[in-house]
Amino acid sequence: MNTPLLVAVTAVAVALALLGVLSTALRRRIGTAHLVGAGLLQLLVLALAAVAVAGLVGGHRPTELATFLGYLASVVLLPLAGVLWARTDPTRWAGTIIAVAAAAVAVMVWRLEQVWQVTGG
Amino acid sequence: MAEPSDAPPEPTSATADTTRGPGRVLVALYGVFALAAGARATVQLATRFDEAPLAYLLSALAAVVYLVATVGLARGGRGGRRTALAAVSVELAGVLVVGTLSLLDPVAFPDATVWSNYGQGYGFIPLALPVLGLLWLRHQSQVAADRGDPR
Repeated sequence: MNTPLLVAVTAVAVALALLGVLSTALRRRIGTAHLVGAGLLQLLVLALAAVAVAGLVGGHRPTELATFLGYLASVVLLPLAGVLWARTDPTRWAGTIIAVAAAAVAVMVWRLEQVWQVTGG
Repeated sequence: MAEPSDAPPEPTSATADTTRGPGRVLVALYGVFALAAGARATVQLATRFDEAPLAYLLSALAAVVYLVATVGLARGGRGGRRTALAAVSVELAGVLVVGTLSLLDPVAFPDATVWSNYGQGYGFIPLALPVLGLLWLRHQSQVAADRGDPR
């Protein structure tokens, strides 16, 4: 799709995952840094989705279009879902919850890129 | 189980139940796997069931098991723990049986499932997840027993 954007998503997601694990290790609850990180990740993922939709409108057709759309929807929902779920937890484990969501985003965007690259047949 | 809303920020394990702390992390992990396996199974079953029916039905079974485990862990309490225990046990059996069969008879599994090769394609998380789930559920039932909750 857009390699710099993919790298940016991955970098922010990995940083957020580390931050989440760190806050759990330090027995801290989540703070502003987690929310800012998750917000940034959400914006980047939305930008990636916009690039993908523009590509689809421009005629790019991954062979596994349904899989692609399913993963894309999941990736777009994950940062917000992670934050909402983490905020319902009043313990230090909230950071790990955010880390799980962020790590899933980091893995899934590259799976998404793989599916995107396979066209025609 | 209803928790008091003015709970302290860091409850000790004696006051915890499956719906908070590490249990919520498990719910998040199971939720992600339910989502990933569910999306994959739906597409596979809808578009090319004939190619590898066994693998695709296993994907769908895995997705359902993850979903049931997610709900059971998220609900907590005695019923939730029981539901989760059943789902997590099926999951552990599934990943061990499918993992072994996929190594012995790769032809039967032309398209990977979450449980193929013990979940290698997913960083072996599918193998670790039911073990963590069982440990957590055992811990939770001990906590409940210490509190004198009805079994």
